[in-house]
Amino acid sequence: MTALAAAIGVSIALLLCVVRLFAGPTLYDRTLAMNGVVMKLAVIAAAAAVVTGRAALVDAALAFLLASVVANIAVLKFFRSGTFQAPLTRAEKP
Amino acid sequence: MEAGAVLEIVRLGLSGVVVAIGLVLIAGGALGLLRFPDLYTRIHAANVADVVGSVVVVLGLVIAAPDWGIAVRLLLLAALFMALGPTLSHLVAQAAHAAGLAPIAGRYAAPRPGATRTGSMS
Repeated sequence: MTALAAAIGVSIALLLCVVRLFAGPTLYDRTLAMNGVVMKLAVIAAAAAVVTGRAALVDAALAFLLASVVANIAVLKFFRSGTFQAPLTRAEKP
Repeated sequence: MEAGAVLEIVRLGLSGVVVAIGLVLIAGGALGLLRFPDLYTRIHAANVADVVGSVVVVLGLVIAAPDWGIAVRLLLLAALFMALGPTLSHLVAQAAHAAGLAPIAGRYAAPRPGATRTGSMS
């Protein structure tokens, strides 16, 4: 019962985050909104685990959270250096 | 009424109170993410109120969990939220600042040289 209420409340917050995800003026706003969406999906998965009593859904929530970290780092690193394989040394000043 | 039933009612009521507190925090965070004027203020709303709200909601779900396996995994999920939320907010803020995204800073606006309102994207 409380878990169902938690899932519904967090879904409303997720809709607000989706609005910011599509309306964000810069790349970093969208990244932040994506982070929020995935975190709220993880909370919803945890609430669904408590509602249905299946422990595998909590593992799905953990996977959501860790995948969110990897996706954030990939997006920010790509748009900072322009490539996924940034050189480990600084470019020489001519 | 036996003691087990009373304990069950107290457990569910406590979890309901904790989940309600967390939902208020999450609603504040989402509203701030939607309404604040600037990336840095949005980070402040999203990753302060939102992470704390998520942790509180998950702790309320721990109290309501039907068995021990789910409760322990939910505790691990709360610990991961506490560890990863500030890390991700730091990543986003540091990347935006390095790309030259200027904050809206009121009277004390001091943009960096070459700073733009949309970031350099390069």
